Formats: sequence, C-alpha cells, structure tokens
Amino acid sequence: MKSLSEFKAYYNKEMLPDLELLDKRRKTIVKRSLTVALFTLLAILAVILAYHLFEKGPDSSSLYYVVAGIIIFLAGVVTGVIWARDKTFYKDFKRQAIEPIINFISPDLTYEPKNFIGSDSFQRSRIFLKNADRYKGDDMVHGKLDKTNIWFSEVKAQYKTTTSNRKGRRKTRWHTIFKGLFFIADFNKHFQTSTVVLPNRVGNGFLSGFLKEMNLARREKHVSLEDPDFNKHFVVYGEDQVEARYVLSTSLMRRITDFKEKHRNPLYISFVNSFLYVAIAYRKDLFEPNYFRKLTRFSIVQEFYEDLHLAISIVEELNLNNRIWTKQ
Amino acid sequence: MDGSIGIWIFLGVMVLFAVLGYNRLVRLRNMADKSFASIDAMAKKRYDLIPNLVATVQKYMDHERSTLTDITEMRAKAVSGNLSDNEKVDLDNKISRAMGNIMVAVENYPDLKASKNFVQLQGSLNEVEEQLSAARRAYNAAVTSYNNACQMFPSNVFAMLFNFKTKTLFEISEQERQNVDVKSLFG
Repeated sequence: MKSLSEFKAYYNKEMLPDLELLDKRRKTIVKRSLTVALFTLLAILAVILAYHLFEKGPDSSSLYYVVAGIIIFLAGVVTGVIWARDKTFYKDFKRQAIEPIINFISPDLTYEPKNFIGSDSFQRSRIFLKNADRYKGDDMVHGKLDKTNIWFSEVKAQYKTTTSNRKGRRKTRWHTIFKGLFFIADFNKHFQTSTVVLPNRVGNGFLSGFLKEMNLARREKHVSLEDPDFNKHFVVYGEDQVEARYVLSTSLMRRITDFKEKHRNPLYISFVNSFLYVAIAYRKDLFEPNYFRKLTRFSIVQEFYEDLHLAISIVEELNLNNRIWTKQ
Repeated sequence: MDGSIGIWIFLGVMVLFAVLGYNRLVRLRNMADKSFASIDAMAKKRYDLIPNLVATVQKYMDHERSTLTDITEMRAKAVSGNLSDNEKVDLDNKISRAMGNIMVAVENYPDLKASKNFVQLQGSLNEVEEQLSAARRAYNAAVTSYNNACQMFPSNVFAMLFNFKTKTLFEISEQERQNVDVKSLFG
C-alpha cells in the first residue's frame, strides 16, 4: 500500500487545482447563505415591528398589510435560498475530493457516491440481529484487489420504538443499530457455517465466561479461543466449533488483533458462506463536505484518505490474497 | 418434626446439585469425545488425499520411492481401523512428517512443482492440514473445559465420585501454531 507522503505528492499535483476551484464555490455558498440568513432575520424583525405599529391604529385593514408582508417575506426567503445554493456542488465534491483518493489507492476500484451495501447483505452478515426499520447509506466502493473482490460503503441502520403516554399520544423514537463503514470481501477459504466476532464488552474476569455463554438471541454458540490478546478485544460465536477455528486460524486472530489495536473504532467481523463481513463503527458522517472548513487544507483530505485506506487495507492486513487453499 | 423437614430439604438440595454436576460432567465429556471424532474425520480426509499425492509425485520422483511406499503403507494401516486413540495420534504424526518430507523433496522437481495437478493438490492439502489443526484446537478447548470441571471445586467432588478422568491435550507443534502453509516449505 502506498505511503502518506506519496499521497501528499499526488494530492498537490492532481487534486489541489480542482479543490481550489471547488473551495471558491464553497465560499460563495457560505457567503450567500449567511446573507440570506441575515436578511431573513431583518425581515422577521421588520414584520414584528410593523405588526406592533399597525396594531395601535384603529384601521382593521392593517391585517392585510401584515399578510402581504409575510408573503413578500416568504418569497424573499425562497428566492434567497435558490440564489445561494449550488446544485452540483455536492456531486462535484464527491467527484473531485473523494474519487481521486480511491483512484490513487487502487485504480481497480470503482466509486459510486449514491450507491451503498444493501440491507439484505447487512442482514446476511449476522453481526446485527435486530431488524432495521430504516436503512440508508452512500459512498459505495467496489472492485477486485488482486484475487479478492471487495465492496464497502457507509451505512446507517436504525430501528424504532413507539411508546404511548398517559394521554394516549404516541411517541416514536429511533435507535441506531449501526452507523459506519460496512465492508464485504470474498474470503480466501471455503466454509458453510457462520462465525461472528464481536467486541468483548464483558471482559475476561469473574462471571464473564458465564455471560459469554448466555447469548441466547444467537443460534451461534460461544467459541472459546486460545489467543489471550484476541480474547481481550473480542468474543466469538460460531455454529460449528471446528469450522470457527478453521476460519479463525491462529495467524488470522493475530492479524485481527493487530488491526484492532491500530484503530480505536469498535470492530465487528463475521464469516458467512465464504464471505467476510467487517463493520467499523463511526460517530461522524463519512466522506461528507464541511462547508465551514477550507477544502484546500490537506488535513481535510487526509482524513478522507485515512478512512478509505482503513477499509481497503483490510485485504492486506488480513492477508486475503493469500490463496493457498482450494478457493481461488 | 421441624428438624427432620430441614434435613429432607438439605438432602433434596444435595441430590439436585449432584444431578446437575453429574450431567454437566457428562455433557463436557461428550463434547470432548465429539471433537475427537472430528479430528478423526479430518484425518480421514487427509488419508483420502494420500493416494492422489503418491500418484501425482511418483511419475517425477525417483529417489523418494521408499518414502512413497512408507506413506502408502501407513495410510493402509490407518484406514484399516482397530487402532487405539494413542496409536492413531502416533500414526498421524508419522504421516504428517512423511508428507512434510515429500513436500520438501518436491523442491528438486521444478516440473512437478509447476504442474497443474500438483498445484491443485497442494491447495487441498493445505486445506486439510488447516482443518485438522482447527479440529485439534477445538478438541483442546473442549478437553480444557472438561478437565477444569474435573479439577475445580465443587464439580471435582462428583468427578471423583463417578470416576471421571481428566483427558490429555494434543500437543500442537510450533509449526502448526503458524498458518499451515505448505508453500512456505519451498521458501
């Protein structure tokens, strides 16, 4: 994988000219939006003032003036918003700030800004068992790196709960099941059963063994593995004790532990039907423009680069191109 | 009268504990036996590859005739059955060693190494070796929890009462701890 300094050189040569133009547009959008906001504020004040002035007079037709004022005000806001926005900015941002990074990391990858990993794949991974009531995503990247096919995108899955209070008013709340990067790769070994690697939230102390066994929602049973570093971070459930160990060889456990120790984000992994699923949780929205920060600053693009690199490096970090078994 | 009820309750609780403790030991022992059976199953898969391996390499290999005959004989012995668990493990180790030798010898036959048949076979062998190692690890995990139950209080009391004996673990060689990769033998 290429280094950050190589990326910086590429950035200066290939990306910066486009980003400078894009940043000018960003500034215009911000300036115009602030102008509209300012005028809107002034207009609201004017309407309130006018209302108070007319209210004192005996003329009931003052109401018409107020209504006319509001109509003019709304028309002004709509015109302002149309004037301030830049319809293609978002699209161009993805094409000029995100796509070149992916092309730099590997020319074999394809980027589709509006596409995302489907909810059926998300469900098939068996990482999150809760059914999602709302599922969305964007920034899909896919392609074949050497011998391994990969797909990943940002996804957000939520479920809702509805409660009624004493007055019978219903209240709906949304809870996040997962938000972050969802990665799928064609694994280098054949297997039939599912194995799920989850963050170890109960530690390894007194009673933890009992708690790990007690995951009743899963059809997979607890698999107790021998690597203490790995066990510090993860707890494993598998349908088949032998196959779980076949998939999670001692060297793969080591690699997963190293990967986890490099990145702090919560990490979920599963192996289902010869596919590898990796979910990396993020709090922030990924690969989105921040209108209030300069696009030409390297640190902004560096962050995009690092998040993309993290996903793409899974292939190397977990040695997925090592095809010494029967699966090619 | 009150006192005797107390004794009955105490006895009842003790019997309940004994039943639960006994059942747990049986369950753990069965799990260990089952995983031993899966080692056997994987070993059989490996035996099935041996004739294939011998057939593929003997066309090329002249100097290793005796190794090839040995491994064929060992396989015949292993498949014939009626071996004790210890003998099986012993024979398995010998077969592993012999196969390792063949794989090293392949290095001297570039034509063989490059042949499509051999490359395919190598993939299958790597797969079986890794499955075998997974089965051994599963067996060791099952035996460890069974042995823990046999030795830890209070279940050790029932283990002693009902004559549950601890089982021995598989020694996993340093080579096996690493990713099983026949290719790496070729440097």
